[in-house]
Amino acid sequence: MNLKKTMLVLALVLVISGMVFAAGKTETVAEAPTKKVSLYANITAIEPILEYYNKSTGSEVEYTRLSTARYVSTILTEVEAKKLTADVVQGPLPILEILREQGVLANYKAKAAEGYPEWAKKDGIYLFGIEYVGLIYNTDLVKPEEAPKRYQDLADPKWKGHIVMADPATHATTISWLVGLKENVFSSEAEWRAFLKGLAANEPMFVASFGPTPAPLASGEKKIGISMPKYIVTHAPAPLDYAKISPMLGSPRAIALTKGAPNPRGAEQFLEFWLGADAAGRLANDVGEYVLAPGVYPPIAGISETEVIPIRELSDEELQKWGAEFDKIFSLK
Amino acid sequence: MERRNRNLTYSLIVVVSLLTVAPVLMLIIGSFSNNLNSFGNFTVKKYVTVYTDPMLASILGNTALFVLGSAAFATVLALFLAYLNNRTDIPFKFLFKVLSVMPMMIPHVLFGVSWALLLNPSNGILNMWLQKLFMLPKAPFNIYTLPGMIVVEGLLDLPVAYLIISPAMGAFDASLEESSRVFKSGPIKTLFRITLPILRPAIMAAFILCVVRGLASFSVPSVLGMPGRIYVLSTFIYRVVTMSLIADYGKAAAIGMSILVISVGLIYVYRYFTRSSDKFVTVSSRGFKPTVVELRKAKIPLFIVLLIISFVLIVLPVLVLLYTSLIPYVMVPGRQAFSAMSLQNWRVVIKDPISLRSLNNSLFLGLAGATLGAFLSILVAYVIVKVKSKASGFLESISFLSFSFPGIVIGIGFMWYFVRTPLYATIWALFFGYVATYLPYGIRPMTSAFVQIHSSLEESSLVCGASFATTMRRIVIPLLVPGIVSSWVLLASMFFRELSISVVLSRPGTEVLAVQILRFSEDGQWGRLSALGLIMIAISTIMVATVNAIGSRFKPGEVREKRTKVAAQRLVAIG
Amino acid sequence: MEIKIRGLRKRFYSEGKVINALDGVDLDIEANKIFTLLGPSGCGKTTLLRCIVGLETPDEGEIQIGDTIVWSKEKGIYVPTEKRQLGMVFQTYAIWPHMNVFNNVAYPLQNMKLPKAEIAKRVAKTLKFVQLEGYEGRPSTRLSGGQQQRVALARALVAEPKVILFDEPLSNLDAKLREETRKELKTFLGELGITAVYVTHDRVEALALSDMIGVMNRGNIVELGTPKKIYFDADHQFVADFIGRANLVPAAIVAQQEASTIVQTALGQIKCHRRTFAADDELVLCLRPEFIEVEKIEGSDVNHLEGVIRQMIFVGEVYETEVDVAGQRIMVKLDPTTPYNEGDRVTLSVKAEHCLLVSK
Repeated sequence: MNLKKTMLVLALVLVISGMVFAAGKTETVAEAPTKKVSLYANITAIEPILEYYNKSTGSEVEYTRLSTARYVSTILTEVEAKKLTADVVQGPLPILEILREQGVLANYKAKAAEGYPEWAKKDGIYLFGIEYVGLIYNTDLVKPEEAPKRYQDLADPKWKGHIVMADPATHATTISWLVGLKENVFSSEAEWRAFLKGLAANEPMFVASFGPTPAPLASGEKKIGISMPKYIVTHAPAPLDYAKISPMLGSPRAIALTKGAPNPRGAEQFLEFWLGADAAGRLANDVGEYVLAPGVYPPIAGISETEVIPIRELSDEELQKWGAEFDKIFSLK
Repeated sequence: MERRNRNLTYSLIVVVSLLTVAPVLMLIIGSFSNNLNSFGNFTVKKYVTVYTDPMLASILGNTALFVLGSAAFATVLALFLAYLNNRTDIPFKFLFKVLSVMPMMIPHVLFGVSWALLLNPSNGILNMWLQKLFMLPKAPFNIYTLPGMIVVEGLLDLPVAYLIISPAMGAFDASLEESSRVFKSGPIKTLFRITLPILRPAIMAAFILCVVRGLASFSVPSVLGMPGRIYVLSTFIYRVVTMSLIADYGKAAAIGMSILVISVGLIYVYRYFTRSSDKFVTVSSRGFKPTVVELRKAKIPLFIVLLIISFVLIVLPVLVLLYTSLIPYVMVPGRQAFSAMSLQNWRVVIKDPISLRSLNNSLFLGLAGATLGAFLSILVAYVIVKVKSKASGFLESISFLSFSFPGIVIGIGFMWYFVRTPLYATIWALFFGYVATYLPYGIRPMTSAFVQIHSSLEESSLVCGASFATTMRRIVIPLLVPGIVSSWVLLASMFFRELSISVVLSRPGTEVLAVQILRFSEDGQWGRLSALGLIMIAISTIMVATVNAIGSRFKPGEVREKRTKVAAQRLVAIG
Repeated sequence: MEIKIRGLRKRFYSEGKVINALDGVDLDIEANKIFTLLGPSGCGKTTLLRCIVGLETPDEGEIQIGDTIVWSKEKGIYVPTEKRQLGMVFQTYAIWPHMNVFNNVAYPLQNMKLPKAEIAKRVAKTLKFVQLEGYEGRPSTRLSGGQQQRVALARALVAEPKVILFDEPLSNLDAKLREETRKELKTFLGELGITAVYVTHDRVEALALSDMIGVMNRGNIVELGTPKKIYFDADHQFVADFIGRANLVPAAIVAQQEASTIVQTALGQIKCHRRTFAADDELVLCLRPEFIEVEKIEGSDVNHLEGVIRQMIFVGEVYETEVDVAGQRIMVKLDPTTPYNEGDRVTLSVKAEHCLLVSK
């Protein structure tokens, strides 16, 4: 009998939780649907911009942060269960292209993108920035004149044991970037391979992604790294600067609206804001992003003179192939 | 009795299945589907791809070394500490309480990062000091190695092992050891021939739990293993997931399956070795005399060892966090760093609405989740220990199911599962996801406690006319209080810093601390991360200390009774 | 081997209070005899035993076993338990649950690093001795209480120690088994002829087993003697009372005669077994029920007491009977076939030699 009682308690807990949840749900549904804009994004540190937007327009942008690794999986799962709440999605271009193939995206013509280069407008997907990659060095340990002038300089033995980079065997962006160098910078594949060999001989320390690269640079654990110039802004006043090498390469950042968004008007309004000079300026200034809005640059000395070009995103097969290739080149053990 | 136990067993199997089998089932389907989501046409392509990876052999080797090494390290250290605390006259015993729970509250990523800061071969603080002190040509330690990973993971798993071993050690019938001494065994030999074999169930439970934890551990392998390019299964999964822009979690699940098989296998091994728990009942109604080993000359050196462990495990990471929270970016300590110190990071964190909301949510999940988890654990542990049937063995195995999966994978399993329920995108998704995944944390200490209670104690209650529930409430649970406190503390501190599941299921409004910390880490905001981390550690310390205090004051009458009982036993011992 | 104990002290601290478990114990235990430490709970007997075996460290004093000093505060000697070459049977038997019978018994020999064949031979011999032949492979958790007790005994005996210690080894057995085992134990120890130190709170056990008994109270040996001496001729009220049923009546000496002492009590003047005491000793007369006859026996050495039977309780072999003598309740024993009934007037007869005077 008492077992029943025990199980009853358990059941009760489940039921009550369900009810509490239900209450919570009706609450969220009742909340003015016209005001809330749901943004799924993988770009980080944008809270101040969203806050500014909320304040100046009276909207409420709900920012769901999705890392690249979980992006497609999460959205497709929600779509399948008809629970996608996103109005606006922001992520790397190839990912948004997959979402468009799956019929998730709307094709909205943004007025604010009129000044953008043609390659930045792809049938409803807008490129608004480039996740630019460069050689970042510690200014306490490296004088500007000692910094590399060309990418080849990183293969100089003087950097041996002083380099940090994301693992070229596994980090997709680093793989794409290295392949991007081959396709955009080096004159021949042999020259590029010599560079890789030299870089490998310098025994760089590998981390999982770009995220952990600035810490060893700021602390002086490493002198130089393949990292992102925006950290110079976000990690100020850390003693960081970037080697001024042209061109700099990076993956394009894209944004788009979803089809059947719960709040289409709000979504459009937000996209117009996001692509406009105001938001782009804040993105550049506060987050150090390289934006495509004409004439807007991050507050990093010399960046306006540097050419920053989007690299080709590699297919999965290419990533696997090059990852394995780099794995061989970089494994000295 | 029999029928009641059978009913209880089957009801629990249903409840636990809903919690743990369902998400794993989704993952199994996903691993065989040719779609990115869980459902799709059947294919074994994902298995073929991941299991033909040329790196797999070396990864398996590393994984075995890492997992066995860290589990062995944690278990041996836990045994050592449990012995010192329960059986010797070492001073400052409260240190053990702190030692045993403190590392539970430090987010593992932070712990790993602290150690990288201290022992990296380029400018690790400790390394540089040692180098200067002994005039070495190069840094003496490199944390980015397999031994480094083993030690750090071992330290992190130490509390789990300790909380399982210590109660068993405390309840040990000392005359079993004393007789060994009389029969010509020294203290060391007695330890290995008598004490450890009799404690085998607890030791194996601790070791296996650590192995399972090590298999699923991601923080240490990613923070310390990746820089040295030492891959283990969990980082291999990460690699499979991130090597493609469109992450295919079916592949990750396919790798996870082998971890699952290993874990479930281990649990059967454990059951095999401890199949007659009667063998190991060491506490009976006779009561136990706590005899204390006098350390004599070894007292001071052992105490110093204890201090060093406490320092390494608690003081150092907290100091590193405190330091990091005060500086604007990662700097080597020095004049420059000290002049740059400010409370800026603290100000930002305290004013950050998301941080505050995540604190709120985590507190709720920690308190409420641990309470439900501990309650469920009592029932499950009871069935596992006292109802020895095929069904109870099955229940034990399924209680480990979600736990055995690497965190990144099981989170997706829960997402695929919950998205089909109204729980999706609510705090209850986190709530039930936590309870399901970390159920073994609740069950393990509880089973150790149950094993120690001789069935005659309950049987006599039943004979006295008490019902099953009354027996539980009046006899079993009061005797179980230490186990319940252990379970609750393990669960609460785990939930308070849970990341793997939260990172998948947390949504705006249901942010939790670890996810907020992860955000800071993705932005490279180590200062804010450290400040929030310290707040988190402080709150869980208060939480755990309160529960420990309540646990020890549970039923004041009983405590008084216990005290007089101890005094009486003393007298008996003298007489 | 004899055991010499000098000035042994041991204190325990419990909730701010100091308990003198051993309060300066001096004791000589003769070689090859069965010596029993008898006393109530908390008297310090177990502590003394544990000090001898080395499981407890005294605060002061010296312990010598044979020619070896195993513990001395002054000389700074401490021989650890495992080096003391003793055998012991624990109250809980402490049979290791993870080993079978063979391994439990073989354990001391294995620690002596004897060859395997030798170990097997001696274990078999010892198991035969304790009548557990063929139990070698039995898991120790599958033993009855009596069997466990024998395994514990076999384990204590197998290495042929010169001294064997028993810590209330029969207290966990039921009454019948206890009686049987006690007899067996007596036989075993008689055959072995080794020094045995036996701790118990059961007076029958002590009387039945021992060559010599040491009665302990409050951390001290109160009295030492053969079972008969302790039973018939105790010097202290505590001992007389503890060792058997006794009617205790305060007494004062009236006169000393050649073979007897005359005392005045509430029962009247009683002629007692002659004893001398210090002038200020408070005295108690001790009358054991078994020596009180419920009939008038003539004789110059016989004391007569008049009384009324108040209560008779049938316990099998006797009626335990209370007789009111001058307002004092005196316990006597009546035959099961006695013609007396409650309320009858009776005359009690006690010989002077059975009237024991003890100091308080």
